[in-house]
Amino acid sequence: MERLIYFIRRALRNMRQCLFLCSVAIGTTAVALTIIAFFAIVVLNVQQLTADWSRQVEIVAYLDTVPDARTLQGLHGKILALPEVESVDYTTPEQAFSQFRKRLGNDADLLSGVDPDILPASFEIALKPLFRNQAGVDTVVTRLQKEVGLNDIKFGREWLEKFESFVALLKLGGAVIGGFLLFAALFIVSNTIRLTQYARRDELEVMSLVGATSMFIKTPFLIEGAIQGALGGIAAIVGSFVLFRLFLYESLSSLLLASGSGAIAFLPLSFQGLLLSAGVFLGLFGSLMSLRKLVRV
Amino acid sequence: MIQIYNVSKAYRKDAAALSELNLKIPKGDFVYITGPSGAGKSTLLKLLYAAEKPSRGQILINGQNITRMRGRRIPELRRHMGIVFQDFKLLNSRTIFENVAFPLEVQGKKRFEVSKKVFQTLKLVGLEHKLQSLPLELSGGEQQRVAVARALVVDPLVLIADEPTGNLDPDVTLDIMGLFRGANARGSTVLLATHDREMIRRFPRRVITLENGRLVDDRMP
Repeated sequence: MERLIYFIRRALRNMRQCLFLCSVAIGTTAVALTIIAFFAIVVLNVQQLTADWSRQVEIVAYLDTVPDARTLQGLHGKILALPEVESVDYTTPEQAFSQFRKRLGNDADLLSGVDPDILPASFEIALKPLFRNQAGVDTVVTRLQKEVGLNDIKFGREWLEKFESFVALLKLGGAVIGGFLLFAALFIVSNTIRLTQYARRDELEVMSLVGATSMFIKTPFLIEGAIQGALGGIAAIVGSFVLFRLFLYESLSSLLLASGSGAIAFLPLSFQGLLLSAGVFLGLFGSLMSLRKLVRV
Repeated sequence: MIQIYNVSKAYRKDAAALSELNLKIPKGDFVYITGPSGAGKSTLLKLLYAAEKPSRGQILINGQNITRMRGRRIPELRRHMGIVFQDFKLLNSRTIFENVAFPLEVQGKKRFEVSKKVFQTLKLVGLEHKLQSLPLELSGGEQQRVAVARALVVDPLVLIADEPTGNLDPDVTLDIMGLFRGANARGSTVLLATHDREMIRRFPRRVITLENGRLVDDRMP
């Protein structure tokens, strides 16, 4: 414990004595993490948008005849009992007719003299978020046919396929660009730390000449790296919040509002924690990498 | 006791820095290592504090074969040594007190013990009034006295100095030599690499002369 306090004291003293180099390392970490945070804000919000879009994945099952109250209740119960189903709405021919009329607008006159019974009764089935995809829809359609006995089933297959490939592309793009940014951050931060440690190679040499063990030399530098990383992480959270409010909020808002979604959000608390941990990791890993080359006791 | 058997060191295949060196330096001895530039003086000292490994041969310090020593045991070897360089190698961002305290902190000594010993050693080199100064605020001679204090603070069994007076004027050289002789009188084995014939003449001790990596002379005064 006494040793740990000594190491922390030395790390803090080192930071105070090399304020400029320390600021450079913190600044680099902050900039690298801010870029990642920015990217994450965009991805998370677009994901939120796609989650909203996915609510449109809906199955409509048409009934041959208008069921009596008891049959309706039975069918409703059976559909709702399917594990993939979130909600079921029953639409009578009259309701369907009235919706159709609304949709026709000025051309509603075309329906004059037409009996509402020409439209079938139907169930509009919404799926749970996990099943709002091609496979989920297929499972539910099969179950509706086999277990509930409904045969006239419609869903937007083409739309669903496009939607799925868009989500897949988004996920892949997010992973690739996110991974690339993280790798670039690691590279930049570890090289900056290497430069700052290179400037202090005399100190490393003297330490080793007076009999310091590898651990004794490295530990304060690792603690310093972790502290710098954490400060860089905090700066990135604050910085990206300020930039988010100044620039990103409006542009993302207009994009999301145009598509009828709700307000856009900054990074959730868990992601902010992750960003802080990433800072600590970058600092630690960056220090460790450069120390491996500089310290040879 | 330092024993060197058939030691050779080559940094490149075609150029040997040291060749077939054999030496015995008894405990408590004071030895000058001299010779022209490139003779192998610094290489020999580096082998002794294990900054380099010999290409061939064995080196024993107090019966311990340091050529076979594992990397993690080298710090322990160096804790019993004091090393002084021509360019001082002080940490310029640390105070004189911190520089001299460093070897004791490395050994995990208690704070009050460190303070006491550092003060005693700085008093020995006449710099107890400069505790809070930074190295660059001192003259070259004073900086070298700080470097000697850092070497002496651990009461070294072996004191190694590589051209310690190379950049200093004659009066300061006398001061520094006084410190080495004092350490030798207190029991440290001293190995001092130097070009300075005048110093050797003035303070005659055993002189080992190297040329092109070979031992060409080993004489007592």
